[in-house]
Amino acid sequence: MSFAFGPESIRVRDLRKVYRVHEREAGLLASVRSLVRRRWREIPAVDGITFSVAPGEVVGFLGPNGAGKTTTLKMLSGLLYPSSGELEVLGFVPWRREREFLRQIALVMGQRNQLAWDIPAIDSFELNRVIYRISRADFRRMLDELAELLELWPLLHKPIRNLSLGERMKCEIAAALLHQPKVLFLDEPTIGLDVTAQRRIRSFVAEYNRRYGATVLLTSHYMADVEALCRRVIVIHHGRLLYDGDLAGLVRSFSPHKLIEVEMEQGSPDLAGYGEVVSADEGRVTLRVPKHATAEVTARLLDEVPVTDLTVEDPPIEEVIEHVFSQEAR
Amino acid sequence: MLLKLLWSYFRIGVMNELAYRANFLVQMFQSLFSLGTSLAGLAVVFSQTSNLAGWRPAELVAVLGVYTLMGGVINLVIQPSMQRLMEDVRLGTLDFSLTKPVDSQVLESVQQVQIWRLADVAMGIVLLVLALGNLGTQVGPGEALVFGLMLLCGAAIVYSFWLMLATCSFWFVKVDNILVIFQTMYEAGRWPVTIYPGWLRFTLTFLVPVAFAITVPAEAVSGRLGWGTLVGAVALAAALVAFSRWFWLTGVRHYSGASA
Amino acid sequence: MRHLFEIYRAQLKVTTATQLQYRVALVIWMIGIVLEPVIYLVVWATVARSKGGDVGGYNARSFAAYFLVLMLVNHLTQTWVFFEFEMRIRQGTLSPLLLKPVHPVHADVAQNVTFKLLMLVVLVPVMVVLALVFRPVIHPQWWGLALFAPTVLLAGVLRFLVEWTLGLAGFWSTRVSALNQIYYVALLFFSGQVAPLSLFPHFFQVIASVLPFRWTVSYPVELLLGRLSGRDALLGLAAQAGWILLSLVLLRVIWRAGLRKYSAVGA
Repeated sequence: MSFAFGPESIRVRDLRKVYRVHEREAGLLASVRSLVRRRWREIPAVDGITFSVAPGEVVGFLGPNGAGKTTTLKMLSGLLYPSSGELEVLGFVPWRREREFLRQIALVMGQRNQLAWDIPAIDSFELNRVIYRISRADFRRMLDELAELLELWPLLHKPIRNLSLGERMKCEIAAALLHQPKVLFLDEPTIGLDVTAQRRIRSFVAEYNRRYGATVLLTSHYMADVEALCRRVIVIHHGRLLYDGDLAGLVRSFSPHKLIEVEMEQGSPDLAGYGEVVSADEGRVTLRVPKHATAEVTARLLDEVPVTDLTVEDPPIEEVIEHVFSQEAR
Repeated sequence: MLLKLLWSYFRIGVMNELAYRANFLVQMFQSLFSLGTSLAGLAVVFSQTSNLAGWRPAELVAVLGVYTLMGGVINLVIQPSMQRLMEDVRLGTLDFSLTKPVDSQVLESVQQVQIWRLADVAMGIVLLVLALGNLGTQVGPGEALVFGLMLLCGAAIVYSFWLMLATCSFWFVKVDNILVIFQTMYEAGRWPVTIYPGWLRFTLTFLVPVAFAITVPAEAVSGRLGWGTLVGAVALAAALVAFSRWFWLTGVRHYSGASA
Repeated sequence: MRHLFEIYRAQLKVTTATQLQYRVALVIWMIGIVLEPVIYLVVWATVARSKGGDVGGYNARSFAAYFLVLMLVNHLTQTWVFFEFEMRIRQGTLSPLLLKPVHPVHADVAQNVTFKLLMLVVLVPVMVVLALVFRPVIHPQWWGLALFAPTVLLAGVLRFLVEWTLGLAGFWSTRVSALNQIYYVALLFFSGQVAPLSLFPHFFQVIASVLPFRWTVSYPVELLLGRLSGRDALLGLAAQAGWILLSLVLLRVIWRAGLRKYSAVGA
């Protein structure tokens, strides 16, 4: 594959998407009133973001609900057209949805099914084979490979509705990859799955990316997904780009805190004087302290409190992200 | 208690629905439109004849009135609540109703209200008033009383029928299909069941109680109701209400036993 | 073209497998298909009997023929794309269809064809029983018999195109049920499902000939019953062809406009 439009597989410049929604108020009277007159508001879901992704990269999209992640993904896959800005995937303008473009991408949404509900996955796969013009040999090879990696063999001949959520998701992903897309969009692929299924899908995506050099864009609520898969993350909030870089850098540059966990023989004395008390159980207290004060507070604790054990940690990445978002809101 | 519950669910229904402005107009329009359609159908038939198997136009308008009124009541609260009940059984959310300090049958029977169906109820009443005005001479206070009684019995029979079917979902998973059959067959009630051939009349009387819900009350206003049918309708209504109550309690016992 | 043929083959396999899962539902839908024509059959046969046997050239047995053939034609031409479209747009299931490199209309065609054929397995025995009960008679011309199948096919194509196009209204409004209802009521009267069109006043028949509805249902029925002159039969074919062309153009235009709207406001 050669990219006529440069080395990137995805290029986004100053992308914006504005929705018009009507405002709703609470209460019986207000809802009657809104029958007659309704108020409209313009909401910028994506508000001028710029980035590019090289072929073979796996990029995690982070942001709270409503940050604009899904909107961006839909614009990239061609379901939405942008209000303004430039957008290019594999050299195509996505929203034109040219056949040639559609044959090279795949979108998997964790909350939506594409496979026919009542029939076995293998039959839907066969339909996809015809629709995507996959040769029988390629199909066979790809199916073998996917079934091996995802452990699909026992599932292929059961109706989708009889599968568990995790099994269904594995089939969904397989269906989306039969045509070997060069760009893969995953919107919350592990949502609602148990930990084992999440891990299985994670390692599969990594493997697919390694074998085929596909570009992967992923949104997820589970930081574990992002930590396992993405060396690079893009954080968006209120439609704006907050951070674009590697995961470790995100924690370093955004977390001004450390967590100190203190264990004691007995009791849980009030340690509010040392830092913000995050949790306090019998014999164990967790404190949040500013990064620069860590050494000083630790010393004081060891000195003044009957400590049996003490550990200092970076806050979990979720907390860092949450912190970033709440900072931004202020 | 029943009314209070009904009112609070009604209120929720109103608030939910008003959020969608289009719905309000659309539903009003749809009710009027389907009524107009039925009337036009009558008009087509009566452009060719002056009576249908002995039923005069005003009498068939009365049938249509009862059809619309009863259909309105069914779609207003009975059908949506029963649908929800089956859902509750399937998902296990019936537990919430069973643990509330209210009779669970009452609660489950009024828990879902489709407020727009009130329009059908109102239009059914208007049609009935028009028809009665036309039949004025033959409807005295006695007939009116009997008519009211027959309406109540019809509603009770339909409700018990639905409740029994919905209760079946305690044992069988797929009962929805039977309910679809009822909704389809109800259409046949726009015409007096007496015009249908025997096998269809039997079906509409005993398998799907369309005859008791619509034709019998309409017979009461058109002066063709015999004492036998009257007593039969009252007895059937009483029997079905009692039986469906018993059946419901059995179902709940089965449910609690199974899920405990 | 060959590719499309292959897609259809695969698609038909999938839809057949899917619909065979709903054997019980097929029987229930059958009631829906059968009941309404039977009701009007009974009503009109009653009217005919009370008028001494004949209403507007129909007696009880030719009414039986009319409504039984109507039942068949109505089933063979009806679609449910209206509901399907509203649901797709509301639940967002249209999006994955748009990302496939094939036009979504083909999946719908396959689905409808499958349903019609499968349903015949249930419907034909029921029609035989009904025929034994109501004892219909027809007096067709030879060309009426010959033209029946082709006109039913054209009627099916026309009705599919019209209903698919109207279903696209879902792009602009999430509640298309009102439009849906208007359409079905118009269809009910103008396509002769309440009564044969010849029982209606003259002006009504003129309107019915101008609108597409008659050509989607009652025209093949009247043809088979031998109630059309040779000239009317040919006019009917022309009307079907004209409406099919017009709907094809409309479908393309509205589909494009709908997609523009869909990808502007969110999928």
